[in-house]
Amino acid sequence: MKSGPFAFVRTTTFRLALVYSILFALFSAGLLAYLFQATVGTMRSEAKARLEAEFRTLAVAWQAGGPTRLEQSLLERVLVDLRDFTYQFEDPNGRIIVGDMPRMPAPPGDEVGVPRIVTFEIERPGPGGGATITPIEARIVRLGDGSTLLVGIKMDERIRQVNRITRAVATAAPIGFLLALLGGFFSARYAASRAESLTKTAEGVMSGDLSLRAPVGASGDEFDRLAEQLNAMLEKLETLMAATRHAGDSIAHDLRSPLSRLRNQLEARLRGPIDELSARETLGETVEEVDRVLATFNAILRLSRVNAGAEGKLVDLDLTELCEEMAELFEPACEDEGISFTADIDRRLELAGDRTLLAQAVSNLLDNAVKYTPSGQAIRFSAKRHDGVVDISVEDTGPGIPETDLQRVKERFVRLDDARTLPGSGLGLALVDAVAELHAGTFELARGNNEIGLRATLILPAKA
Amino acid sequence: MHVLVIEDDREHAEFIEKVLSEAGHSVETVDDGAGGLSRARQDQFDALVVDRMLPEKPGLQLVEEFRNGGGTTPALFLSALSDVDNRVEGLKVGADDYLAKPFAPEELVARVEALGRRQSSGEPPVTVLRVGDLEMDLLGRKVTRGETKIDLQPREFKLLEYLMRHAGQTVTRTMLLEKVWNYHFDPQTNVIDVHISRLRAKIDKEFDHQLLQTVRGAGYCLQA
Repeated sequence: MKSGPFAFVRTTTFRLALVYSILFALFSAGLLAYLFQATVGTMRSEAKARLEAEFRTLAVAWQAGGPTRLEQSLLERVLVDLRDFTYQFEDPNGRIIVGDMPRMPAPPGDEVGVPRIVTFEIERPGPGGGATITPIEARIVRLGDGSTLLVGIKMDERIRQVNRITRAVATAAPIGFLLALLGGFFSARYAASRAESLTKTAEGVMSGDLSLRAPVGASGDEFDRLAEQLNAMLEKLETLMAATRHAGDSIAHDLRSPLSRLRNQLEARLRGPIDELSARETLGETVEEVDRVLATFNAILRLSRVNAGAEGKLVDLDLTELCEEMAELFEPACEDEGISFTADIDRRLELAGDRTLLAQAVSNLLDNAVKYTPSGQAIRFSAKRHDGVVDISVEDTGPGIPETDLQRVKERFVRLDDARTLPGSGLGLALVDAVAELHAGTFELARGNNEIGLRATLILPAKA
Repeated sequence: MHVLVIEDDREHAEFIEKVLSEAGHSVETVDDGAGGLSRARQDQFDALVVDRMLPEKPGLQLVEEFRNGGGTTPALFLSALSDVDNRVEGLKVGADDYLAKPFAPEELVARVEALGRRQSSGEPPVTVLRVGDLEMDLLGRKVTRGETKIDLQPREFKLLEYLMRHAGQTVTRTMLLEKVWNYHFDPQTNVIDVHISRLRAKIDKEFDHQLLQTVRGAGYCLQA
């Protein structure tokens, strides 16, 4: 992605923020319009109701006492309350009896007693010298004797309120829209910068630096989780790359020496006299040597595949049967070597595992034990379930491994000096370790009971 | 046996041909998948040896089409891909056995001969196996040699049964671990040898004529 101060404008987050801002603004505008309508409407209907009530009161006065009573009532009102209402009372000749308007703003309706609704404005000199205009809503009615009555309600206060509300709405809406947009802008820029840091990490890794990691914040939000997952993936990738490189180095290293040895042997024979018998012998040795190289090569390949997760499929299986079969397979060999062999295997050791690889791992452990345990000593093979794990342990009373070498022997091609003369590729325990890892378990080597011999334990998670 | 070898690597094909011919079998080789399939359909061979990676038609597809077309000739896959998934894949399309490259010549011969035997021991279900004076009653689970009754552990019984079914043929240690124990891996020490010597102690020790022979560098052979 191209960077720059406005690169985030193209991001999904920004677009979403913009859409939300617009929706928010529309919603606000709608809400304000509704409030405006509602408020103004209420005010109008309230004014109408008051005007109506006032009109009725005066109508009662007229009915009770004719023009005299009406005039009296009007004069009382003019004196007491001039705030809201305005009145004009004219006799049938158009002479003003009560009222300060020069004349009726509109003629009354033709029918007697049926009021006509009119709105108009009156202009009066204001306190500051200018004129104030007061809007009036009024009822004008022709009375029975031909006189005319106007009752009006001043709308100026109300209209001022409406104007205030209108101004408030007009100011608030753009501010709200602006705030929503700003909020969207900043959250989009924040999200875009978080995504950008992940992108940068990925780009860096693709350009070859596998040690790069995405920054993880403290908030634990979805970006942090994504960054954590990305980092975990990179971690695994780096390990695998290292393993591959290591396997390559190992192959080169471990196959080079036997191949050089082979070459030297052949060359030495070539220089000497060649007769049928010695040629046959040399060829025999050569085949054996090549077989060993091939076996080592296969072992490395298999180990690498297991390490890389390319070999092995975990399925539900009962380890009891497998362990019993392994015990049965190795027991006679122990007996032949004069080693006492005991097996202690729990029932129903259920777990998710790869049968072939587990068998190979257990066989490697038993194989080692048989190989390094002297006659007259003992091997104890056990498979136990406890606390959600299955422990497969092979313990012998042989010479054991020095404390300092316990970790080292699990590595590829590590063979302790004493073992160099015995057959083996130096990959057996490395494979056990890889099989343990494949099953999300661990492989531990320790001194045996009473500090005698060696105890090799494969700890695998049991089926819940 | 008349064996069809379908393998594109010329040197390798010559090696297989040599190994099988020396063991007394007649061999024909084809170097591509499509040609191999049509030869396998034309003639009645006793066994097919098929490389998995072939030009024209991969080995897997070849065997699958051959089986779908009604071909029953037993087939053995040769492959550099040796892990269990590949093996299972191979057996699923209808192959009878699977051998990873590189292999010992004895291993190839032993497995090809085992294939031939598998087909011929087809129709009537065998209930008694005989090799010389050694007799195995499969229903009664009893083994006798001459007049002597021989007591065997269940695994020893299975081991002897396999050897008797393949009497006269060499069987390798890997074959025994695969067929008798049903495990596909290489035991490093001589665990299989020890089991064989126990069995030998039971069936041969008291007798003059030794039935169970060790074939040097290859495996074992039970022979009258």
